[in-house]
Amino acid sequence: MRSNYQVNATVRFAMLSENQLEEIHYATLEVLEGTGVNVFDEEALHLFKKGGAFVEGNRVRIPSALVERALRTVPSRVVLYGRDGSPRVFLEDHKFHFGPGPTNNFTFDVFTKERRKPRKEDVARAAILCDALPNIDYAMDLGTPSDVTPELADVHAFEALLLNTTKPIVHWAFDVQGYRLMVEMAATVAGSLEELKKRPFICLYSEPSSPLQHSREAISKLLFMAKNRLPTVYTPCVMAGATSPATMAATIVIANSECLAGLVASQLACEGAPFIMGGVVSIMDMSSTILSYGAPELSLAQAGLTELGHYYKIPVFGTAGCTDAKTLEPQAAIEAALSIMLAAESGANLVHDVGYLEFASTGSEPLLVMADEIIGMVKRITRGIEVNGETLAVDVIHRVGPGGHYLGEDHTYRHFRSETWMPELMDRSRYEEWATKGKKTMGERVIEKARRLLLEHKPEPLPDDVVARVKSIVERAEAEFRAQKAS
Amino acid sequence: MFDFETLAQSVISGDVRKAEELTKKAVSEGVSPLDVINKGLIAGMEVVGQRFKKGDMFVPEVLIAARAMNAGLDVVRPLIADTDLKGMGTVVIGTVKGDLHDIGKNLVGMMMESAGFKVINLGVDVSPERFVEAVKEHDAQIVGMSALLTTTMLVMRDVISALKESGLRDKVKVMIGGAPVTSDFAKEIGADGYAPDAVSATDLAKGFVA
Repeated sequence: MRSNYQVNATVRFAMLSENQLEEIHYATLEVLEGTGVNVFDEEALHLFKKGGAFVEGNRVRIPSALVERALRTVPSRVVLYGRDGSPRVFLEDHKFHFGPGPTNNFTFDVFTKERRKPRKEDVARAAILCDALPNIDYAMDLGTPSDVTPELADVHAFEALLLNTTKPIVHWAFDVQGYRLMVEMAATVAGSLEELKKRPFICLYSEPSSPLQHSREAISKLLFMAKNRLPTVYTPCVMAGATSPATMAATIVIANSECLAGLVASQLACEGAPFIMGGVVSIMDMSSTILSYGAPELSLAQAGLTELGHYYKIPVFGTAGCTDAKTLEPQAAIEAALSIMLAAESGANLVHDVGYLEFASTGSEPLLVMADEIIGMVKRITRGIEVNGETLAVDVIHRVGPGGHYLGEDHTYRHFRSETWMPELMDRSRYEEWATKGKKTMGERVIEKARRLLLEHKPEPLPDDVVARVKSIVERAEAEFRAQKAS
Repeated sequence: MFDFETLAQSVISGDVRKAEELTKKAVSEGVSPLDVINKGLIAGMEVVGQRFKKGDMFVPEVLIAARAMNAGLDVVRPLIADTDLKGMGTVVIGTVKGDLHDIGKNLVGMMMESAGFKVINLGVDVSPERFVEAVKEHDAQIVGMSALLTTTMLVMRDVISALKESGLRDKVKVMIGGAPVTSDFAKEIGADGYAPDAVSATDLAKGFVA
């Protein structure tokens, strides 16, 4: 027997210490209680006031006790189901899941290789790719469709996602009316609203406006989801140096304050409502003035916010697999790979924006496909090294002896597949073979794979009658919109 | 009717015991030993080769499959006259003098064996004289040489000279490989072929005896 033997089953990553996390927590409480936040929604202001916050006009100062009560009532985990009702995504502990991002203004078309305005069929294509790629766990739209009624682009995109993947869907809407329509569509697929609540396969997000402001749309959408006990993400988008101080610590405090103000509102509306915190926390590039999606500070601040989420036991919305590069070039690979590694190691639960080019302006099918391969590599690294009698294989080493080889050993046969990650897009062939096959670069191989998946992959269809009912909801929304506009 | 498909499958899945059992069963049922080999054992191994090329199977799996095939072959071999059992041919392979690197060369040997060649593996640090002796002794059709170092690969030229001096050069095909070796170098020293990896080396050898 042996005592005091410790095992690390995975790679260990830790950035902020318990004391540092506590300092950030206290700074956040001080901001919420001392500075306060602006809230532009009557219902939310009423809830805050009734709950014990100090409300003066739109300014809400939230006592620490109120925040700490919300931290106690929020569930530590959220499970997202597939459209088929099977549990798929466990947002808890350090379990990480990757998916694309939403609302890009442009799309990179993998067939024509042009950057153009996204169409509804592009959202369907994003859903098909997400459905096909093994390391992408949920779907988002990867571009706002421009070929539909602009005011209903959110609903049209949701329909395209719903019909083209069985994986969980993370989506958005312009306002509460959009949320209502989407919940109705999802409930139609689930069978009833009750079934959807029991096994939610959708998660809708809304965004506060940094610094420390909560628009009517943002917070009313949040409250709608809380009251329905459906999972929601409240995701600040903070630019260090511009909408938060230049320091990473203060940037995390701003993002966290916005999240926790949303959390308090959600728990005041419905104690125990599922809530996911997180966001896009990065820098404003002081040369171009863009919000950087490839900066090392993005990964750093995201990891900090993720650790804070773990400290609170609240599921975290992360950001990775994205880039400031304009096309699929080495910069995209570097920025996507590093951010995916950091997001996985820090254990962000619902990591989004995989496939973003050009600091979120363009959604890229090829980058999403390449990132799937990167995530595969990262998962292998994260799995760490297993150490035991079987894996140490001293008996095998002894038997083969110096100068022998292990290629034909049963031990090799038993372990090589599980020990080694098998690449699909990474090229490890010899020069001659690579040259014979056309000297293809990663970019070319990625485009080929994306095209093949889009042509070949057929997601599980919904029954015809359900499809018809989902479409009729969208048609009804169109008719109502036209009537409203006419009046 | 004997189920050749299941026998082939036992080779593909590397099930040594089952390949041996099924081969014995075939023999006891009076199936022709050559059919057992060609329609069962070799047929299975051909599937393995195709899957390997496609990237669906990997080296250790190919080697385990070859082991299952050989277990079957051991059962039927005594039942066939030598003249009937036309193998692919005999290959003498070795890492040239001064070089102890042999994992690639061993891989070539195992791949050739699984393709039906008789492989005489001379090991590492093999002198030109030993290559010559082995060709004579085993009546080989092919000589395969390997080197990992830019210094030791020059010895390959000496081996070819030794084959010429002993009058064997025209009776054998010479193929070479190893990290620093190129097809240009093969031409330069008068070898018959170069292969960058074990699979193409096996294909090259098949081409020589075809």
